[in-house]
Amino acid sequence: MSIFNTLFNYIGQIYTDRLPYFPTNIRVSLLIILFCVITAIELYLYMMVRRAVRSVRSKRMKYWDDYISVLLANMIVFDETDHPHEVVAHFYPKLKKIPLRSKVVNSILVEKILTYHKNFTGKTAEVLSLMYRKLSLDKKAKRKIKNRNWETKIEGIREANEMDLMEMAHLIVEYTDDENALLRMEAQAAYIKLSQSDPFHFLDRAQERILDWHQVVLFEIITKHKKLTIPSFSKWLYSSNDTVVMLCLKLVDHFMQFDAAQEVIKLLKHQNPKIVRKAVEIIGKLELEDAESFMFEIYFNHSEEIKLEILNALGKIASGNYSEFLSSRIYSADVKIKKEALYAIKIDPDHGEEKLRTIYLQTGQENQALIKHVLDDRIR
Amino acid sequence: MSKILIAEDEVLMLKALEFKLKKEGYEVEVASDGRQAMEKVKSNTYDLVLTDIMMPFVGGMEILSYIKNDAIKKHTPVLLISAVGLEHVVLEGFSLGADDFIYKPFNLNELSVRIKRYIKQNVFH
Repeated sequence: MSIFNTLFNYIGQIYTDRLPYFPTNIRVSLLIILFCVITAIELYLYMMVRRAVRSVRSKRMKYWDDYISVLLANMIVFDETDHPHEVVAHFYPKLKKIPLRSKVVNSILVEKILTYHKNFTGKTAEVLSLMYRKLSLDKKAKRKIKNRNWETKIEGIREANEMDLMEMAHLIVEYTDDENALLRMEAQAAYIKLSQSDPFHFLDRAQERILDWHQVVLFEIITKHKKLTIPSFSKWLYSSNDTVVMLCLKLVDHFMQFDAAQEVIKLLKHQNPKIVRKAVEIIGKLELEDAESFMFEIYFNHSEEIKLEILNALGKIASGNYSEFLSSRIYSADVKIKKEALYAIKIDPDHGEEKLRTIYLQTGQENQALIKHVLDDRIR
Repeated sequence: MSKILIAEDEVLMLKALEFKLKKEGYEVEVASDGRQAMEKVKSNTYDLVLTDIMMPFVGGMEILSYIKNDAIKKHTPVLLISAVGLEHVVLEGFSLGADDFIYKPFNLNELSVRIKRYIKQNVFH
């Protein structure tokens, strides 16, 4: 003890009695050392307090997590003869005891309700929806959607989407054309599901891009949502937003919307080659004979990719109007074009193969090899 | 009392299924990952196995394959739970001998009725 006392007294003396007598550089150094020591002690104390708080909080969260899990599992396992309202009335007082003012506890409860709602149908889902509203969690979701922070907004939109909060559609539509791509995508996906009057209204106002992979997501939602009334997507084929046009073309294609034929044909003159290519692909699938002359018109102005698509479409239409044109493609310098033209001729079930055999007799060795290849049904 | 094994990696779902089946009067054992489930299947005999397809370490298909290739256990009904109804997954499941597929989201009461039916059928084996 005496050693420590001596040491403390010595240090004390340095900083009290002797400090004014040291040269300036020593004084500055001593003060820096003192500052560092105090800071280090404060930091250690801060870390210890934080760890203690975190440990208490995590224990508390673990308690509430278990409590909520058991309570919700019990609520879900209700007797099938019970009415959902009775189940909710029975469990509401217990759930009301949960400190929902705490953001963390609130998010634990919401997360678990969403998980169950996502995985169960029937009365279970109904009970969860009723309880969700009874606990006023829908109002909290609304506040989240209105929050300034975009991540919180997304959280709120996801919640509204999963819990079918139809009344939130008018709030969500605002974000369907937001600058923030993630928020925009989440809002679009939710709006389709939640809007009862006009789920595709967001396409009218879409100025921002609908990213390729989000087009896939939207396509999945639209094509798999059983309760959705599918409109004629031709309405949006004139959109100034190319990504809207592209998405709608994919949907026209999927739902085989013949009423969009004229609009699709007009897209052959579109500036975006991706749109032109998709339009040609749809023309081929829908076998739109009216489009043949337009495709022929644009054929020579486009890239190889579009040329191949046009040849394929002409083959599928198989009207015979452009069979000479298809035959003449065999003299193209591009082998891919030759091959595609030959396959296009072959598609015609009545005269295709016969026509290829005639060409075979009139052409050179290289083309003959290609025709043999095309006529072989084992290859494509 | 019929004995059921539930293998599901989503703890919340596991709890709900456990509660439901216990309430129905079954003896329930749970496994929160595929490895645990496989160990239990190897060392015990169950009247029915309800397993998720996608689980850490060992998948539901492997558990199914083990049960259906075991001379003693092959009559145990195996119900697969899947979040995606992809054709090739369903075909693989049935070709390995799965008795039924349950797609998420599902109706808990309907599941309970199906389980009752499979256990009743299995009594004759």
